[in-house]
Amino acid sequence: MNRRDFLLRKIGLSLVTILVVVVIDFMLFRVLPGDPIRSVIGRNVRISADTQQALREQFGLDKPVFPDQFFDTLGQWAQGNLGVSWSLRRPVSEVLRSKLGNTILLIGIGQLLAIILGVTLGLLAGWKRKTALDIGALTFSLVAWSIPTFWLGIILLAAGSTWFGFPTVGIISPQNTGKPLITILPDLAKHLFLPTLTLTILYLGEYMLIMRSSILEVLSEDYILTAKAKGMSDWQVLWKHALKNAMLPIVTLIAINLGFTVSGAIYIETVFSYDGLGKLFQTALTKQDYPLLQGAFLLLAVSVILANLAADFLYVVLDPRVKET
Amino acid sequence: MKQKLFYALVLMVMLVTACGGIGKPAEAVTLRIGWSGKPDTLNPAYAFVGESYTIFHLIYSTLTKQAVDGNYVGSLAKDWSVSEDGLTWTYHLKDGIKWNNGEPFTADQLAWDINAIMKDPEGWATLSNYTAGFAEVTAPDANTVVITTEYPIANMDYRTSYLYTFYPPDFEGFTTAEDLQNYGNDAPVGTGPFMFKSFDKDTGVVILDANKEYVDGAPKIDSLIFQTFDNTDAMVQALKVGDIDMLQSVPASAYETVTGFENVKATATDNYYFYELIINTVDSSVYPTQTGNPALADPAVRLAMAHSTNKQDIVDIVFQKLAKPGVSIIAPALGGGFWNNPNLKDIAFDIAEANRVLDEAGYLPGSDGVREKGDLRLEFRLQFPSTLATYARIADMMADWFQQAGMKAIPESMDEDSLVAATTGVGDYDLILWSWWPDPDPDFILSVLTTDQFLPGGWSDCGYHNPEYDQLYLDQQKLVDRNARQQVIWKMQELIFNNMPYIVLAYDDMLQAYRSDRFTGFIESPLGIESAESLLNAEAVK
Repeated sequence: MNRRDFLLRKIGLSLVTILVVVVIDFMLFRVLPGDPIRSVIGRNVRISADTQQALREQFGLDKPVFPDQFFDTLGQWAQGNLGVSWSLRRPVSEVLRSKLGNTILLIGIGQLLAIILGVTLGLLAGWKRKTALDIGALTFSLVAWSIPTFWLGIILLAAGSTWFGFPTVGIISPQNTGKPLITILPDLAKHLFLPTLTLTILYLGEYMLIMRSSILEVLSEDYILTAKAKGMSDWQVLWKHALKNAMLPIVTLIAINLGFTVSGAIYIETVFSYDGLGKLFQTALTKQDYPLLQGAFLLLAVSVILANLAADFLYVVLDPRVKET
Repeated sequence: MKQKLFYALVLMVMLVTACGGIGKPAEAVTLRIGWSGKPDTLNPAYAFVGESYTIFHLIYSTLTKQAVDGNYVGSLAKDWSVSEDGLTWTYHLKDGIKWNNGEPFTADQLAWDINAIMKDPEGWATLSNYTAGFAEVTAPDANTVVITTEYPIANMDYRTSYLYTFYPPDFEGFTTAEDLQNYGNDAPVGTGPFMFKSFDKDTGVVILDANKEYVDGAPKIDSLIFQTFDNTDAMVQALKVGDIDMLQSVPASAYETVTGFENVKATATDNYYFYELIINTVDSSVYPTQTGNPALADPAVRLAMAHSTNKQDIVDIVFQKLAKPGVSIIAPALGGGFWNNPNLKDIAFDIAEANRVLDEAGYLPGSDGVREKGDLRLEFRLQFPSTLATYARIADMMADWFQQAGMKAIPESMDEDSLVAATTGVGDYDLILWSWWPDPDPDFILSVLTTDQFLPGGWSDCGYHNPEYDQLYLDQQKLVDRNARQQVIWKMQELIFNNMPYIVLAYDDMLQAYRSDRFTGFIESPLGIESAESLLNAEAVK
């Protein structure tokens, strides 16, 4: 199979997966127990049974799930319309867009830092195996990887706000809402610092550990010995022969992690009251807000599928053997 | 010469500085309030969460309002009266009321608002209940509003305290209920003590400015910021470090910690929120598919359950003393104590008595210690919502007490949606631990136990059916005479207390806190220190 056929097959498979996801997406939330109307209105409000029925009709819940609701929803999606959220009464696409930027900002910076620091640390640790650097980095990474997210977040929040005056809530100060971005950058950076730090520490360990074991495996290969025998410097061996092969597992990991970026970092967002997609998913689920849930799930699924597709493309570049399998 | 010039310069600098000092405006006083929720919308036609109503009560005015002592006083209304037959209510408005965009406020605008709700009850989903039974609303002159009703309405003052006067031009021209409900009302104009400045729908941050023209006098605070926290630990930390000035609700688990903070005052106020044990009361001859243990229909079993419930322990251990033992579905704190029936004497915690009652009723311990009588066996599912750890703790304690009386309760955590599906109109349970946040008027919580409400989408979870109670409920709705209504409501509480569809366990205190180094003057009441009256009274510490 040549390279083009391989890529076309991957794209085709991704499209089929998205179609399957669309069907599951529709069904999944409708099998949950409970009444969406009740979830939206809560338990402490005076809404008569008649008014509830009127809302049920307005949301199309009085019709059978299949075929009516299913084809109505599918028809809407085909036109690029994700519908209106029942609990927020805003278009789903608008709600998702408003959170997507925040999430990408937090997770983007956090992941980038974690990747750079983790990969470098893993590389150094593997190269300088059994030195103080290796043991130190390994210990730190194991601890960082196993810390519960929520706990680390709250500890950093308490310490950061008490000793360094970092803000405890949100993405910008309320007074700065709606001001031009350039004037609020320092405020934004201050608010981003603690959540980003939490995210970086949490993922750094994972990247470091994978990178370290991967480079150790590669360094024991015969071709590395050959390269050394040819008289290449350690640096040349590492850079030209070891790194490229050692990167394969990391690429997979990065692709998976980035794919899940849009699911947000729900714990971090919750601790720091950060307005991102993770929290939105949670709210949508507790409110049984079908249009919002479906939209969010679709966005998540498509992102994961696209990220995996990107990883497949990268494999082809990194590893010539891939196209032959 | 040079020296003179120098002195002249120094003098000028001093003068300029001094003038700057005089002309400098006093720093604006901003109160930052932290809470766990956020408004779902600022459109009063379709707002479901309590936070929206907190904001409405600050930016909008109503004809009447509930005062901190539980009584109703005039807000827009200077005075009001009702005709002899209880069908015509006449309100005289205060003078000089203005919309916060500067326009004068008139009686016919108020009449337009209420008529709009009456004409489109489906669209005004969350307010139309308050106009049920209204026949006509007119404004005979610029300062008078007359509401005519189809039948006498007992809780008119309460109802008019929720009928917000929104700016008519903002709500004209909606043709369908859906259009009206999808309207964001992003820049509400009102006549309340505070004016809307901004609402960030994503972060939930609400900023309000003082309405300097407010008819009852301007607030002493210049602006309010409501900030949403998704994590209560972070919220408590924010109060500690001074990021916020007030916590609208302190989690019970953090209350003791908060009382220890420097420069922070924590408040615990009596409230009418209650926790109850729901006993399946669904009549199996009407609903054959209900699955409650038939022994629950026996008054002796219910009495034994009440004797096996140690409310004081629940208050002391589960609520850390931040609650009161419950008796009636209407707590003493509701409406300033006027509606609670003080004659109800609670059934004492007495396991020996519980055993005696069950012995006498013929339930005898089986081989495993669980009492039985013929086919009946005193083994029950005890379900509770998974939302709060409080329920799980109460359930464990109750299972233990029940066991000592020869009854077996099996605690089981359920998600709230499943509980709703299992209760209303169905009756697929034995016992449930749950809670209610009643309205300030007794009508709502009384309605919960009427036969009519036992249907899917209704409010009755216990399936209580008592024609006498149902009739009393209808009677109290039409008794405009407050004292006469009180007597009927007392009787209704007595019926519930004796028939025990609910065993009321505890009234939860309202826990709040604020920075006492920055603010003073908040009024503690069941309305909360963030109520309009409290915020009007509050000021910065000088």
